[in-house]
Amino acid sequence: MTQAIVVEGLRKKFGRREVLHGLDFAVEAGTVFGVIGPNGAGKTTTMRCLLDIIRPSAGTISVLGQDPRRAGTGLRRRIGYLPGELQLENRTTGRRMLDHFAAISGPVEPRYINELADRLNLDLDRQTRKLSKGNKQKLGLLQAFMHRPELLVLDEPTSGLDPLVQQQFHAMVREAVDAGATVFLSSHVLSEVQQAADAVAILRDGDIVTVSTVEALRTAAVRQLKFNAIGTRTDDVGALLARVPGVANVAVRELPADGHAARTVEATASLSGPVQALVQELARLNLTDLVLEEPDLEEAVLTLYAGSDVAESDNTGISDGAAANRSVGAGRNLKEGAHHA
Amino acid sequence: MPRILPLFTKALTDSWRSTLAWALGLTGACMLYLPIYPSIGGSSQMQELINALPPQMTKALNYDQIATGPGYTQATLFGLIGFLLMSMASVGWGAAAVGGDEESGLLELTLAHSVTRVQVVLERALAIVVRVAALSILVFVLVLGLNGPAQLNIDVGHLAGAVLLFAALALLSATAALFVGALTGRKVFGVAAGAAVAVLGYVFNAVGRQSPKVEWLLNLSPYHWAYGNSPVVNGADWGVAAGLLGISAALIVLAAVAMQRRDVGV
Repeated sequence: MTQAIVVEGLRKKFGRREVLHGLDFAVEAGTVFGVIGPNGAGKTTTMRCLLDIIRPSAGTISVLGQDPRRAGTGLRRRIGYLPGELQLENRTTGRRMLDHFAAISGPVEPRYINELADRLNLDLDRQTRKLSKGNKQKLGLLQAFMHRPELLVLDEPTSGLDPLVQQQFHAMVREAVDAGATVFLSSHVLSEVQQAADAVAILRDGDIVTVSTVEALRTAAVRQLKFNAIGTRTDDVGALLARVPGVANVAVRELPADGHAARTVEATASLSGPVQALVQELARLNLTDLVLEEPDLEEAVLTLYAGSDVAESDNTGISDGAAANRSVGAGRNLKEGAHHA
Repeated sequence: MPRILPLFTKALTDSWRSTLAWALGLTGACMLYLPIYPSIGGSSQMQELINALPPQMTKALNYDQIATGPGYTQATLFGLIGFLLMSMASVGWGAAAVGGDEESGLLELTLAHSVTRVQVVLERALAIVVRVAALSILVFVLVLGLNGPAQLNIDVGHLAGAVLLFAALALLSATAALFVGALTGRKVFGVAAGAAVAVLGYVFNAVGRQSPKVEWLLNLSPYHWAYGNSPVVNGADWGVAAGLLGISAALIVLAAVAMQRRDVGV
């Protein structure tokens, strides 16, 4: 498998302030790679470096096999870019603006512009200054997709889009990838990335905290568990849960008898890691109710953020440390794999 | 479909409104000032009035020469109102071309496409040259048209030379604004640089003409380089025209070089 983007030791200083502290990551061709991180983490700066809008202070970048600093116009023709702070001219229409970008970009089929505009439900003949934020964002997406680039670099692509259009956007991303394109996108919200991305890098304060697959995040993520059982005692349930790896925050109590035919024990806990062992243990019980929540990846990421803080400060005070470590490990493995592939 | 000079054509079409507005302004200035020459510059009463003014003031305003048609045109149109309008137009265009575009966040998206930074600067500079040339030609045509009716008696060759210097002076302000805008990425710095060239040039000329002690100021004034020998009256100094255009060309190259080396939009 070839790599569409390889970044090694990327540093960027603005004056004395260093905003990227030596990033390393690689994006496999034909995949969707998501970068998440809070605002100010360095996502936009990284993307601007890929486009040669900003020049790195140190490190090497290879985009589609070329150094963006030296490659010139031919490389940028193969990239579609959506800036994070999208600004559009006021006194023009969407169509005229796209015409101009088509003139300074790769060849564009006029039919494809119309097709995309229909899909995004965007009126190209309105004055851009009268467009809502969401509609401006659609125009930005359109200019990034319209020349069918090999690489899409999209900074906060779904910002301002309503849910229906977001779905449409995810479909466009899938189609582009199916056609062989690579997509590099960023978000400060994980739920956006998890829908689209095959791999996720978590960026914080100019450092990559981890690179992981969405699957790995999912297994690392913490699920909330809640069940009711009859014909058992609180101590037995507590002991049973204690045997399951990955279970924490156990709370067991007996429900008041009123309204219940039999004595009912209610238990809540959190689970990280695979569910198989838990299901086997629970099968011994006479359950009347069971809820195992969808893992909250947002939570998982926050855990990872916290995890790295803890790692720096003596590894104390964290209940889900095991989960964090496992996921960081998985991330490292994936990164290694990418480098040696 | 590849188009020829896409950024140049876009810069021109985007600015047709402002070009038209400045063209109307310059037309108005010509129409207001030149036809009244017979009753002002040529009249003996006016000459007495000017003689009664402090000589420093008449020198500063170049009104010491308005007794003749060419001198009047030089002092009022090329030296004052036309210079003012043209400088404002070209400083605005120069500062907006790169610095203003970057500051508004539009340049980032343009540069993400298949263009080089040098190409952006050069095509937009060319668009400024074309606009300045268009306005200058308009002034040439208007003065030529009013030459007979307003009894100006301007030599056509001298007029052509004066218009060339008029354009070159405007371009100097425009390219200074372009260069500083491209260097800093800020429109306001570009405006300041372009305006400084025009205003300081004018002020150095006005002060430098007052006495031999401050005459050296004239050497620092592009305005004086261009208009010191009253080109409408005496014909242009072609070397000066070439020199002004050369400096402008150098500023355009510097703008391209500055742009080439910089982070954009930070």
